[in-house]
Amino acid sequence: MDNLTWRGLGLRAALACAGLMAAAPAFAAEITIWCWDPNFNVAIMREAGQRYTKTHPDVTFNVVDFAKADVEQKLQTALASGTTSALPDIVLIEDYGAQKYLQSFPGAFAPMSGKVDYKGFAPYKVELMTVDGKVYGMPFDSGVTGLFYRRDYLEQAGFKPQDLQDITWDRYIEIGKAVEAKTGKKMTTQELNNGGMTRIIMQSGNGWYFDKKGKLAVNDNAALKGALETQAKMIKAGLIKPATGWNDYVKAFTSGDVASVVTGVWITGTIKAQADQAGKWGIAPIPKLDIPGAVHASNLGGSSWYVLASSKQKEKAIDFLNEVYAKDLDFYQKILTERGAVGSLMAARTGAAYQQADAFFGGDKVWQNFSDWLGKVPAVNYGIFTNELDTAVTANLPALVDGKPVDAVLKAINDQAELQIQ
Amino acid sequence: MAMTGSGTRAGGLRRYYDVNGWLFVAPALLLIGTLMLYPIVSSLMLSVYSGRGMMMRFVGAGNLVRLYSDPVFWTALSNTIVFFVIQVPIMIVLALVMANALNDPRLRFSGLFRTAIFLPCITSLVAYSILFKSMFSVDGIVNRTMMAIGVMDQPISWLTDPFWAKVLVIIAITWRWTGYNMIFYLASLQNLDRSVDEAARIDGVPAWGRFFFLTVPMLKPVILFTTITSTIGTLQLFDEVYSLTEGTGGPSNATLTLSLYIYNLTFRFMPNFGYAATLSYVIVVLVALLSFLQFYAVRERR
Amino acid sequence: MSPRLLRRAGSALRYLLLSLAAFLSVFPFFWMAIGATNTTADINKGKVSLGSALSANIASFVAAVDVPLILWNSVKIAVFGTALTLLVSSLAGYGFEMFRSKLRERIYAVVLLTLMVPFAALMIPLFMMMASSGLIDTHIAIILPSIASAFIIFYFRQASKAFPRELRDAAKIDGLREWQIFLFIYVPVMRSTYAAAFVIVFMMNWNNYLWPLIVLQSNETKTITLVVASLASAYYPDYGTVMIGTILATLPTLFVFFAMQRQFVQGMLGSVK
Repeated sequence: MDNLTWRGLGLRAALACAGLMAAAPAFAAEITIWCWDPNFNVAIMREAGQRYTKTHPDVTFNVVDFAKADVEQKLQTALASGTTSALPDIVLIEDYGAQKYLQSFPGAFAPMSGKVDYKGFAPYKVELMTVDGKVYGMPFDSGVTGLFYRRDYLEQAGFKPQDLQDITWDRYIEIGKAVEAKTGKKMTTQELNNGGMTRIIMQSGNGWYFDKKGKLAVNDNAALKGALETQAKMIKAGLIKPATGWNDYVKAFTSGDVASVVTGVWITGTIKAQADQAGKWGIAPIPKLDIPGAVHASNLGGSSWYVLASSKQKEKAIDFLNEVYAKDLDFYQKILTERGAVGSLMAARTGAAYQQADAFFGGDKVWQNFSDWLGKVPAVNYGIFTNELDTAVTANLPALVDGKPVDAVLKAINDQAELQIQ
Repeated sequence: MAMTGSGTRAGGLRRYYDVNGWLFVAPALLLIGTLMLYPIVSSLMLSVYSGRGMMMRFVGAGNLVRLYSDPVFWTALSNTIVFFVIQVPIMIVLALVMANALNDPRLRFSGLFRTAIFLPCITSLVAYSILFKSMFSVDGIVNRTMMAIGVMDQPISWLTDPFWAKVLVIIAITWRWTGYNMIFYLASLQNLDRSVDEAARIDGVPAWGRFFFLTVPMLKPVILFTTITSTIGTLQLFDEVYSLTEGTGGPSNATLTLSLYIYNLTFRFMPNFGYAATLSYVIVVLVALLSFLQFYAVRERR
Repeated sequence: MSPRLLRRAGSALRYLLLSLAAFLSVFPFFWMAIGATNTTADINKGKVSLGSALSANIASFVAAVDVPLILWNSVKIAVFGTALTLLVSSLAGYGFEMFRSKLRERIYAVVLLTLMVPFAALMIPLFMMMASSGLIDTHIAIILPSIASAFIIFYFRQASKAFPRELRDAAKIDGLREWQIFLFIYVPVMRSTYAAAFVIVFMMNWNNYLWPLIVLQSNETKTITLVVASLASAYYPDYGTVMIGTILATLPTLFVFFAMQRQFVQGMLGSVK
């Protein structure tokens, strides 16, 4: 074969390859959204999109799902490289990370104050997306926490639902000991590699790793101290069945191994998926720290929608979020009943779905309770270094359990954190 | 190419030789130059900057100073070295022993064994992480089996105890890569001259003696090769610890490796690309140093 | 103990050792297969026997994922990527070995040095390059950085040492050009080397996660590995469905390995001398 033919073949092959590899072309007025969890955020965003398309047929939606860590990784890569063409129009960001993105990539997200009426949302949600007086996101689901417990196990140990209402953590530990003595079940489960429990207790004590101005506040932080001591007490009392990861954690309470769990409202759907446990569950407000300002309400996780400033469909995207998430009460009823998502739009509480008693939870008005607690969640400044602090806390918690004085542990956390957040 | 006179003939040949040499390596060099060297240089340049996200400022050697006083870095470094020092020898010895056991023409089912032992390295990270996490949970199948056969009477908290978490990571890497290394040994064993071994056997040298004093020395080059690739792999260890600990490197940073710390500094923490780049050159220096030492150790005994 | 008995014991020990190793290696695959037949609730309870949810799991996987498209994406990337890697890297390995010069030896050393740089350090600059050439969300962007693989170049250079030089000399006398020698003599002679490299590169490409994750942006371009990861990341993952995904993500590499097993082992011979 001569050179010419070879070259021709090569060229044609290359062209064929390029044709095969090229991605599907983008459509005009299509809004691209990145989020995680196909059964929750993705499904909810598809529902929202369908609602908006009904009134705005020219706008279509492309909801792309990745794992949560992957969404963050992709977002960070694209922002860091200044590659705005690689960004979606709307992205879901977990509340703890909001300030990190807003402050370290200034100008990357579109401010929405003035376009959205933020007075209607739970105040702590709005606070976490505010930088220099401008509000940047659309508050979405809340991670308001509750104490989910097994009625049957507690009854067996001699406790009634009233016995769990408005208790302190010390009382919770006493009950836990009694439950284990009578039923052989551990009181609760915890992922010891994860700072979730610390965050729940700390926020319920109206504190955080940082003060209102975002400065590191670990030493002499009563709420954090209370959170650490409470956990150490629970571990020492043998109350916790340790979980090795998320799946193991979920398994512990869905398979009946533990008598209760303190976590975010978004777990409700998972618990209700265990049809054979219907009627055996109940909910109560979370236990309280014994410090001034502490309440029976807190938050774990939860996330919000953000519009990228570089988006070509910016105005449409904001209008879409505003129309559905800030105004459509019926939408909130639907995602509540179908997906167990508690939004942070306070007006949604008046809807019928929120008033319903749930036989699965022994007739508790689950949603009504959660939305009441939602209004009580202390607004704290999540700051920009939550992951760093979580790492420092989980690394130092074992020392506390081993008997190191709590102030020394706080100092160790503080020292590690100071180096990490420079 | 035109050639003028006999004087340039040898030169022409050399040039012909040279031109062909360049042509063969050109596509690869072009790609490596643009897609590897350029990013390497630009990340080297990043390593003198520090800051949050896009708001970076020049710090010169500031990142090195920070490195020195960063306890998390030292933890990650010592974890990485522990994994390297313990895991690589275990895996190499296991792979050698298994290759030797398989390298017997009289052995039945050898193909079956070989295939089975090689399989783990083809699994994808995702499948692997799901499987290992459920198998090694506190009431997972591993603990249950070990308790049933009486090896222990308390379940091991594999992922929440700092010591056992390290052990689990070592088990996981060993599981995944022993078969891979074994294939290399097996291949070169089958290429070895068996007559020396046979003579030694007739002289009454026991099997273990033949293994250590005949087989292993003859395998030196391939052992060096696998040791270096394993060194690179272990010092860049990321997949296993990331997937087993859901990215945290816990408990108490007991499984945090340098690569995972780099990942966290880039994606999980407040992004500090400059500091992360500095850290990655720590790995480069370590790998280069250790590879050199390994080469040196092997040369020395010749 | 008599020598014969000793040998018997040794042989039994060997079978025991190998069986144990084989069992431990294969067990997780069994676990995965069994998981695919169980409901998520059963998997969470740690059930290890066959269940009856296989068809339900398959149905929900097919409902959630555009299986043919996703598989096609993965196959396309793995096959094209592997073919290009073998071509470019074997050319270079052959070139470095057959045409030696001082300068090229130095360059070769630099090429090997690139192996030591962790990928995390290169990701962001590489991403910027792909973005500026408009290749984000294309499969080309995934394949390009893997084509010239230092490891595979090294592998081919080592293997080329075993390539009989007489063949090359004879071909030259017959008037073949260098590229013809490579294409018509080297490649066929070294086919088991190529087979071994194919298995390794295919495996790497198929399982590649971090880089495709960053480059790919839409549901239509995703690979099976990415899809399984996002399914597994739900607040409450449906593990029965995820298991179907992991099996689907594992089968092609299994298939490639079994199909090329014999050549694979042979090919390894040349590479490690």
